[in-house]
Amino acid sequence: MNLLKKTDHNAMYLFAGVLGMFLIGGVMTTIVPALTEKSWRQETKGTRPYTAAQKRGKAIYKREGCWYCHTQQVRTLEADRATTRSGWRGVKAPISTPGEYVRDKPHMLGTRRIGPDLARVGGKYDRSWHRTHFMNPRHLVPGSVMPPFPWLVKRDGGKEFEDLVEYIQTLGRTINWRPDNDYER
Amino acid sequence: MTSSKKTKETPQEPAGTSERGQDLSAKAFIISSIWWFVISTSVGLLLAIKFLWPEFMGNTPEFTFGRMRPLHVNGVLFGWLLAVDMGLLYYVIPRLCGNRLYSEKLGMFTVIAFNLVITAAVFTTLGGVTQGLEYAELPWFLDIGVTVVWVVFGINIFGTILTRKHEKMYVAIWYTMGAIVWTTFVYTAGNFGTELFTGVNQANLNWFYVHNAVGLIFTPLGVALAYYLIPKQTQAPLYSHKLSMIGFWTISFIYVWTGAHHMIHGPISQWLQTVAIIFSAMLIIPVWTVIVNFFGTVSGKWDLVRRDPILKYLMTGTTFYLLTCFQGPMQALRSVNAITSKTDWVVGHAHMAVFGAFSFFAVAGCLYAVPRMVKKPLYSQALANSAFWFMFSGGLIYFVLLWIGGFIQGLQWNDPSIPFIDTVKFMAPFWWSRLAGGTLIFTGAVLFLYNISRTFTYDPASATATGPTPTEGDTKPAKAAV
Ligand code: HEC
Repeated sequence: MNLLKKTDHNAMYLFAGVLGMFLIGGVMTTIVPALTEKSWRQETKGTRPYTAAQKRGKAIYKREGCWYCHTQQVRTLEADRATTRSGWRGVKAPISTPGEYVRDKPHMLGTRRIGPDLARVGGKYDRSWHRTHFMNPRHLVPGSVMPPFPWLVKRDGGKEFEDLVEYIQTLGRTINWRPDNDYER
Repeated sequence: MTSSKKTKETPQEPAGTSERGQDLSAKAFIISSIWWFVISTSVGLLLAIKFLWPEFMGNTPEFTFGRMRPLHVNGVLFGWLLAVDMGLLYYVIPRLCGNRLYSEKLGMFTVIAFNLVITAAVFTTLGGVTQGLEYAELPWFLDIGVTVVWVVFGINIFGTILTRKHEKMYVAIWYTMGAIVWTTFVYTAGNFGTELFTGVNQANLNWFYVHNAVGLIFTPLGVALAYYLIPKQTQAPLYSHKLSMIGFWTISFIYVWTGAHHMIHGPISQWLQTVAIIFSAMLIIPVWTVIVNFFGTVSGKWDLVRRDPILKYLMTGTTFYLLTCFQGPMQALRSVNAITSKTDWVVGHAHMAVFGAFSFFAVAGCLYAVPRMVKKPLYSQALANSAFWFMFSGGLIYFVLLWIGGFIQGLQWNDPSIPFIDTVKFMAPFWWSRLAGGTLIFTGAVLFLYNISRTFTYDPASATATGPTPTEGDTKPAKAAV
């Protein structure tokens, strides 16, 4: 209590106090796990580095802010795994693990699901579906609020579109989760 | 006045005469930030329209949702709230210290540099230049600009505090100093530290930053302002010094642990989720001590709140702060989080914190400080009152309807028999209400800008002003009012 009183009058004590208090929690929740949690930096076996085209595609995903509307995580909730959510065509989605994200910088985990989760969307649709969808999502899904992205398809003969799809098709593919290997291209 | 005994305390004011150039940086920061308030809320409004007509402004890359959204968020957080807080502290801190701002020149440097950074940010965000991390979208060269401004701001405030005439530091000074120290680390970690990591490690640091940006930047700055303004405006001593101390030291210890509650059920270690949940629950302590202190200070003077727009903003702000910080720990519980997380509930929650609580404190600060700085009554008391009712009713519609809609949508997501797109269509009426609420908020912001601008410019001789003349200005120590 006396120490606290001192901080009422002495700016340097106060400074040291607020810094110390903050650093305890700051170190424990950011630096300690970075050191102790091996699983956070150990890549899932079989992960391949992004190709140049996939990297460009991921940059477009970042630039156009897809990540404000789409998460990339199947949480430890049964509902997330459902075939009407992250799973598709009758197969439930496996839960996401830290090892699947190690090559991602920036991470694209997301905080908001205005659209569905995309963690396992790689291979769900083929290229022509995506082309129509980006031109205008409502052509395929009436009631969608996803913005149109015509410039991706039209500019430079659709080069950006090709790259973006290259990236989308990697999502969820560090593991091979479909028994019938029925991924679209 | 400097005794540390249990004497009732009020924020002290210097008994000096004003000089030329005094408060220049405070005035400039405040007026520029209010412009950003109006600009950024108008962007928010356009985004709200996009939810109803996704094609609206949709075929131009620069105006697509994913680029306008960071403009809105960074605009309100940095262009408006951080800037207005800095401006108001340039006014408040010297008065609590019994001296002048350490350097008006450095102050003006921060105003100009910060406004250049935010202006540049408009072009980078719309141009699609982004770091791809929430709240940290601005590219590194603008991050450096923000950091420089923050350090110079810190030097200016610390310089003012170290040369103070009053020995005892009032609560508002603790919070300000805390915020300056914490922000330096939090901002650096979130904007530069994240460069060192990938994947989940980066996500963890990202949410450490996002959460503490609200908790250790905007919360302490807002609370500092309210600690100054509430006793001032009610002319009552602060309810309890002990509560102030408990509130301050608990928040400085507890808040920083809670970042991982953004990843509950996510791909991150269980122990860290649990730690974040426990500390989120403990946040009840610092918040409720502050709230009791504020309400205690006003108790017995509630009739003032009815008449005075400044107190209206302060006390509704306090109430919203209480509600936000009740929701926060609840949302962190695993069972509740399974429903609310990733829905519009969170959007309602975030707006109540940043708009309902901290922006209300800041608006109150502007209505209080600007007339005192220009030594004229507020241009229009009636306009201030109607701006309040616009912002309050708009905010309430916005928050409450998004909670309801988001909560139900969360329940629907937990029922796999409902197709996802049906849960999107379900939100339409709630998105309409958001547009309605947002329109009211924007209208309030415009009225507020007009009122403050006119307070600067109108000619007191023509005496069109309807507000009371600011009584306790620079010349009258507040203690006398008790
Ligand atoms: C304003 C929010 C929003 C933005 C921004 C957005 N989307 Fe969507 N997205 C949606 C919604 C809503 C749906 C569900 C309806 C539909 O399929 O159109 C969706 C659906 C999808 C789907 C189909 C998912 C499935 O499982 O059926 C993909 C793939 C997709 N979006 C990719 C993207 C990409 C890539 C971007 C960025 C270029 C993007 N989205 C930007 C809202 C958004």
